[in-house]
Amino acid sequence: MNEIYYVIVVPIFFGLLGFLINRLRTEFDLVAFLLTLFYAIKIFIATRTQIISYNVASLIGIDFRFYADSLSGFIVLFNAIFAILIWLYSLRAMSKMPRERVYYLYIALTLSAANGVVLSGNMIFLLLFWNVLVFSLYGLLQVGKVYSSPAARKAITIIGVSDYIMMLGIVIFLVRTGNLNVPLETKVLFADGWLVVSYLMILVGVLAKLGTVPLHTWIPESAKVVPASTLAFIPGSLDKLLGFYVLMRLSYNIFDISNYVPLQLTLMIIGSVTIIFMALMALWQKDAQRLLAFSTVSQAGYMVLGVGTGMPIAIAGALFHMLNNVLYKSALFLTTGSVEYRTKTTGLDSLGGLGVKMPLTLFTFVIAALALSGVPPLNGFYSKWMIYQGIIEMAGRINIWFIFLICAMFGSILTLAYNLKLIHSIFLGERPKELSKVREARFEMVVPALCLVIGCIAFGIFAQALPLKYLILPSLGYGVGELGFWSPTLATILIIVGIIIGIIVYLLGTAMKPRRTRIFVGGEVLDEEAARITGPNFYSSLESVEMLKKTYDFGEGGAFDFYNYLRGAANGIAILSRDVIDSIIASAYRIVGRIVGMIGNLTSLLHTGELYTYVGWIFLGGIVILLFLVL
Amino acid sequence: MIGLDFVVDHYGIFLSAIFVFIGLMSLIYGLATNREKGHRLEFYLMLFLIVGSGVGVALSFNLLLIYILWEISTFAIWRAVAYYRGGDQISAGTLTFLINFASATMMLVGFSILYIDNGTFNLAGISHMNDTAAILIMIGILTKSVTIPLHIWLTPAYNAIPSAIGACLAGIAENLGAVLFLRLFTMGSYAAPGFFSTVAWMAIISSIIGGGVALRVNKLRSLLAFSTISQLGFVMLAFAVGGTYGILGGVLYIAAHALAKSGLFYGVGVIEDATGEDDMRNVACLLRLSPALGVAMAMLAGSIVGFFPMIGFFSKLTVVIGAVEKSAYFGIGAIVAAIFTLLYNTRFYHELFFGDRCDVYKLRAKRPSYTGVALTFVLAMVSLLLGIFFYQPVNYLTTGGL
Repeated sequence: MNEIYYVIVVPIFFGLLGFLINRLRTEFDLVAFLLTLFYAIKIFIATRTQIISYNVASLIGIDFRFYADSLSGFIVLFNAIFAILIWLYSLRAMSKMPRERVYYLYIALTLSAANGVVLSGNMIFLLLFWNVLVFSLYGLLQVGKVYSSPAARKAITIIGVSDYIMMLGIVIFLVRTGNLNVPLETKVLFADGWLVVSYLMILVGVLAKLGTVPLHTWIPESAKVVPASTLAFIPGSLDKLLGFYVLMRLSYNIFDISNYVPLQLTLMIIGSVTIIFMALMALWQKDAQRLLAFSTVSQAGYMVLGVGTGMPIAIAGALFHMLNNVLYKSALFLTTGSVEYRTKTTGLDSLGGLGVKMPLTLFTFVIAALALSGVPPLNGFYSKWMIYQGIIEMAGRINIWFIFLICAMFGSILTLAYNLKLIHSIFLGERPKELSKVREARFEMVVPALCLVIGCIAFGIFAQALPLKYLILPSLGYGVGELGFWSPTLATILIIVGIIIGIIVYLLGTAMKPRRTRIFVGGEVLDEEAARITGPNFYSSLESVEMLKKTYDFGEGGAFDFYNYLRGAANGIAILSRDVIDSIIASAYRIVGRIVGMIGNLTSLLHTGELYTYVGWIFLGGIVILLFLVL
Repeated sequence: MIGLDFVVDHYGIFLSAIFVFIGLMSLIYGLATNREKGHRLEFYLMLFLIVGSGVGVALSFNLLLIYILWEISTFAIWRAVAYYRGGDQISAGTLTFLINFASATMMLVGFSILYIDNGTFNLAGISHMNDTAAILIMIGILTKSVTIPLHIWLTPAYNAIPSAIGACLAGIAENLGAVLFLRLFTMGSYAAPGFFSTVAWMAIISSIIGGGVALRVNKLRSLLAFSTISQLGFVMLAFAVGGTYGILGGVLYIAAHALAKSGLFYGVGVIEDATGEDDMRNVACLLRLSPALGVAMAMLAGSIVGFFPMIGFFSKLTVVIGAVEKSAYFGIGAIVAAIFTLLYNTRFYHELFFGDRCDVYKLRAKRPSYTGVALTFVLAMVSLLLGIFFYQPVNYLTTGGL
């Protein structure tokens, strides 16, 4: 089936053409993304009914083959959709940015490699594309709003190290089982310790891509310096799609962790820790993009938690949550990008009151933020609900299931808290003076976010009728059966009825006549700007808790940063190598040189130039030879 | 006794092709940059001697022949290191020559023992080897393939040598030890218990320490030297673990490292000529100097690190497979060494090509040499093409058909 080749080759081919012929770049890119979308839809439709699998080549005992089933088809389709939306958005947002030309090349390269990862049917083959993603991520992060190369260096170090570990895991798996196909016909049991190690090593690479604790730190770091479209594309959408895909394959199609409790617990603990701590970090942030970056990491925790439970409903919920998260998180990143495009800042302290000026942006942002917080009837609620149910179903198998449930729910509350902070700080509250001339963002920038938000609403209200029935359950091979007691459409109707009743009560009551008075100021008259209360001010009570503040300061100072520890350890070994081992060896050589020199000096003492001395030596030598011959 | 026994197998042909290609590139670079008056011809003579001895060792099947070519190579390196005739250069040349010559003499003693035991110098006829001979020969091999603690000559040599021949030294002359190890031990019959795993551990430790030092040094050429030490550790590890994957990985690794390191040598040469600095703390933001050089060096560093579109990925992968087949701990050691490779390469690249506030940074530099940049780019492209079409070399090395 040639479509598999096309979705991998077309983006990079046309992207390269567009890069080389700069004048026709937009046209070439349009062709690239539309063609890819077309072939992705073809693959998606084809994989509904059949499995595509064929060998490309066999080399040194490794079968390089392509494989596409319904899950791959689903992911490929969404890769293509997100690429085209981000491209559309970037057309306006990225214009006149430095190195704009390279940016589009990397977007195309990333799409190619991402499709390659999803369609490869062999882990080594997958690793090839996985490596290309490191290259393209590095390149994309170098295209920054400001100087972004430290962030790029950090990203390539973290991802590169975890890729090496993943490579070792795959190799150990190859040597132990002799088979590398994805997925395997007969799943591998955790028969010996090395297989568990192999699973954990591959998991490191996957979690680095998905961005969970402790391998997430490059995401907030780069959030400060790269444009919103990059954030929405890589950590916001593609990384989640790919990371989740490989996590699913690894945990249920190659190994089967549902009958090995320690690994399930590992996944669930990583997930819960990620949810709670990253949501707490997000609550603290004073920059919209950095807050959203922490939020992205935190949401990845739900996916890992859902996969870790091993319950079909939670796995389906995790996949659904991944899809939802990609939708609303991209929308949020793109809308903050729009705000930044108009106001030139993402600092929450310097924003406020933009809702009146940017109504469409406000609408998209609020819907996406509510979906993210899990407010029914939007899509985020339903997927979290499924994950909760999966955790509750674990009751018979793991005794401490309720801890995970509490973590997940508490994380959800925190999510709502930081989303309210975002909405309030950007769109409500008082508007700073310098933002009085802000207008609605460009049409091309609003449309992609609007599409995503419409997706959020549709996937929420018609969750069972649309996404679950056509996308999620067929991709996992589950039948449409009992999926918990939640009927989203009915709930929506009830909520709408509730809102209408509320409005009627409001209209009947006296609340519609608020009393407006002037602010009373005693003493010195402050100017408006100084009296303005910004969004983050409402959350400053957090800072007054001494323990929390200390912890946050640690976190912001990089105390929980895996990268710092890695560099510290490496530097330690480096100092040991250079200043201890290497200098010891060098001085050993120097000592040998000294000894040779000393012997030379000693022998030179014998060479006095006097004939008698030499004659004496000759006699002495002759005696020694005689003795030797005689004895 | 002195038979001119040659072997023409795929490994030999592949390595010779790589060596000759690097020699050609170095010749062009030398023609473009070598402005020395007086003893200019010596430069070309030494370059040809290094390339010739490299090809010779890759294709010969007789220990005495290998020894003669080995000494020719040592001699050529000696003269090349001392080419500029400064005090530092001459002492570096002397050090290089003394250490290499002394260890080659020990190796010759080992060869003599082999001759006495087996009655021939032909590699095919060597069936008995005692431990003394193996250890003596290993000293020669480890000196040539700069394994710690016999690496001491490399840093001064790199700092003194002209860039063009330096690329040949990095790409050709240092691999002779690994090639001899492949022919004599990996494909041979010597099987003392613990020998191969000792060599493998030595290689891994050497690789880690080399990578660690490379993370600290600031002189560009010293960094290249320790990077070479760390990478040749991988080659020795591959040949020490042996097997299909090990041998294939080692040969591929030699090719990948040779291409990438000579490219980096040209790049560093261009940077030194343009800025007059040899310390990476004193230069930054070189992406402004020449974006093409930046891209090429990123690709070459990526090849050494082992990212996919470059040939470095597949060679590293096969080495790791070979190592894990022997023992998973070798694999872990190799990955630790690889992490160091990643760390020092990102540091090296970022210190050179990026920096704080590049928009206002005052870059004092002449126009970089076009030939040098072009050659660096050509080597990066060859690494890239070999990496994308890795099927071809791998297939050639394993089955013999292109």
